[in-house]
Amino acid sequence: MNARREIERELLAWTREPGWHADEDRFQRLALALFAHQFEHCEPYRRFCQGRGYTPDRLDSWREIPAVPTGAFKQMELVSFPRERTRHTFRTSGTSTSQRGALHLDTLLPYEASLLASFRRFVLPDLVKGDRARLLVLAPSASELPDSSLSHMFAVVIRELGTPESSFYLERERLDADRLLADLEAAAAGAAPVAVCGTAFAFVHLMDEMSRRGVSFALPESARAMETGGFKGRSRRVTNSELYDQIEARLGIPAARVVNQYGMTELGSQFYDSVLRHPDEPRRKLAPPWTRVRIVDPETGKTTSGDGSIRLFDLANTGSVLALHTADLGRVASDGFHVIGREPGAEARGCSIAVDEFLAGSPA
Amino acid sequence: MSADTLRGRLAALREAGAVLRRRPAVETIAVLARVIDSWSNPDSPWRRALNAQFPVATGFSEAAVREGAQVGFGAWSGAALHQLVKRELGGAERLDSAASRMAVPPETTAVVLAGQVPMPTLLSILLPLALRSPVLARQGSRDPVTAALVARSVSETDPEIGACLDVVSFPSSDTAQLDALLEADCVVATGSDETTATLAARVRPPRRVLRHGHRLSVAALGPEATGGGELERAAAGLALDISLWDQLGCLSPIAVYVADPDDEAVDRVARALAEALASSEARLPRGCIDPVASAAIAHERAEAEMRAAAGRDVTVHASTGSAWTVVREDVSTPLPAPLHRFVRVQPVADEHALLEALRPLGSHLAGVAIQGFGTGTPGLIRALAEAGASRVCAPGKLQAPPLSWRREGRGVLTPLVRFADLETPLR
Repeated sequence: MNARREIERELLAWTREPGWHADEDRFQRLALALFAHQFEHCEPYRRFCQGRGYTPDRLDSWREIPAVPTGAFKQMELVSFPRERTRHTFRTSGTSTSQRGALHLDTLLPYEASLLASFRRFVLPDLVKGDRARLLVLAPSASELPDSSLSHMFAVVIRELGTPESSFYLERERLDADRLLADLEAAAAGAAPVAVCGTAFAFVHLMDEMSRRGVSFALPESARAMETGGFKGRSRRVTNSELYDQIEARLGIPAARVVNQYGMTELGSQFYDSVLRHPDEPRRKLAPPWTRVRIVDPETGKTTSGDGSIRLFDLANTGSVLALHTADLGRVASDGFHVIGREPGAEARGCSIAVDEFLAGSPA
Repeated sequence: MSADTLRGRLAALREAGAVLRRRPAVETIAVLARVIDSWSNPDSPWRRALNAQFPVATGFSEAAVREGAQVGFGAWSGAALHQLVKRELGGAERLDSAASRMAVPPETTAVVLAGQVPMPTLLSILLPLALRSPVLARQGSRDPVTAALVARSVSETDPEIGACLDVVSFPSSDTAQLDALLEADCVVATGSDETTATLAARVRPPRRVLRHGHRLSVAALGPEATGGGELERAAAGLALDISLWDQLGCLSPIAVYVADPDDEAVDRVARALAEALASSEARLPRGCIDPVASAAIAHERAEAEMRAAAGRDVTVHASTGSAWTVVREDVSTPLPAPLHRFVRVQPVADEHALLEALRPLGSHLAGVAIQGFGTGTPGLIRALAEAGASRVCAPGKLQAPPLSWRREGRGVLTPLVRFADLETPLR
């Protein structure tokens, strides 16, 4: 365990560095050390790696670290520490009929350090040190959903970077529209930097409600929005551009100041749109330096410049596995990447279907 | 094309239908029977055109399209259409006004196509036409070939009936054109449950909607088909069912259940199926797939490997690329189906457990291929029908449904018509 604690110590120091540098040597060293630790302590992962012919002594690069499919978190416990030391468990969202993935953690330090550094850099890049922002969060609070990593993330951000007026506005799956609209009005007149954050679907609800009431606000020029998550399992879907247009029309936050976050429960770090950090450059996802993203050809597993599967390597995943193979498609974009999803309303490939799709939609 | 143009084409079809209905119904059915005979002939111009154009447009391999069309269309005939009309309507004369029990078709029918298997497309178009209901078909983006070929085949066989069929194409996001299309008197919607529900919600009464949503098929092998020559034959048949249309049709099995108390049976079936799919790949190569599908396969394979690594009784048999995959599972519960020749072999203790395993599939179940249940076969067939299957057949036959197959467990023609009983004498 000492090796892991040493890795965590270096990671925490890295997250505190003011300038971000990819620092390939440092990542390589830490990733291989963390892989060796996880190989030793996580038995299913060790057997998975051995099945593919990979062991720590045979690896030359972090790129070769076998990546675990994210779905595996639904089927087994992937922990690299004694299970009884679990302090916190985050679970993926799911319906009553589907299994939920679980990320068990014995420490929240790497997770919280990583999320804070990234949030500050990509969502609040203009926040002067010591200042705080008013965060209006369209998500359930961490006390309501203690196993939601997203709610926990927002709770940490509010705790560390939010003003006292910052709040959650989703309770028992309902948007507290009256309170939210009153607070938006107050925020529009206030002096503190404003960030409206939440799930994409909650934003859609807010837009619908504002449209129904015929209200709109002109939030300060410096306001920004952060949205995350898709529309899986939802009866209604809108494209990002449609949503951003509505956010601009209803909240006065231009699309160029709406940041999409790409993250997942199984991962300690998150990836954000570049728009606030590099407003004059094309939108793309940027990664913190203690992570790496590989876009691989799903047929060969080799790096591709075209569309491919997204593999993520995250040093903040100290307690589980650091290499994840996601079910998402992506494409490299200069120093970042794009996440490619199927367009809403796209036709099904055939009349047969993925069984979990309709199970999720069937009555329990 | 604008929505108004589309409305104009629908109006033209309405007029053409009025002209057609002056002819006896039996004539129309005879013409369409000839069209079906032509499609069932591998040397007809339509089949040759399909063989040439379909692989290019859809990415399926040429050999697989040839074989799939032969297996599918080869099972059909014009005589089967006549029999269908007799069975479901009591004869073509029921479509004419002189009949004592009239079958009244919709004045016009819009057919929204979504799949990429040619046979359902042909049938979706010809069935309303057989009732003399003109068809405005919107072809799906994944098959820009079949509907146009069907239109040509009808038009060249009988121009007057050909005038009752129009094929259009527009993006699904064009709601103005979609709403114009949905002004037809009856709408036949195919596609995902979500798509057909969205379409149905846009159709205004008193127009009727017939939804053909998600369906899937499975196979089950009993103790008499899990070894030796019987297993070889069953595996070869299942490999064909899986390979044709690259498993994208609703009649390709996504799972093979093994009901055999022998502990080794599931592994034997998985190995045999893997060998059969490898052979099939050599003869009927899988077509191109997009990165989304390829990624889904890679992901499911990796998840299965992880289950195996965790000590579960799971084995992955797979081609080097993503061409085919067989996963020997240790549970009978439904699991994701990434399609494109990806099949799971799952254990069930017996026929009762098989039915329990199929229960979650419910109304989505289409076909079940079974073999090796011996004297228990008749009882199993009945139980499968009660469980929701609309077709039970042998391995290797799933992709050759008869023209008269009641796909939804309902009639083939009857959902399209309204019956009126005429009590005589009338003055």
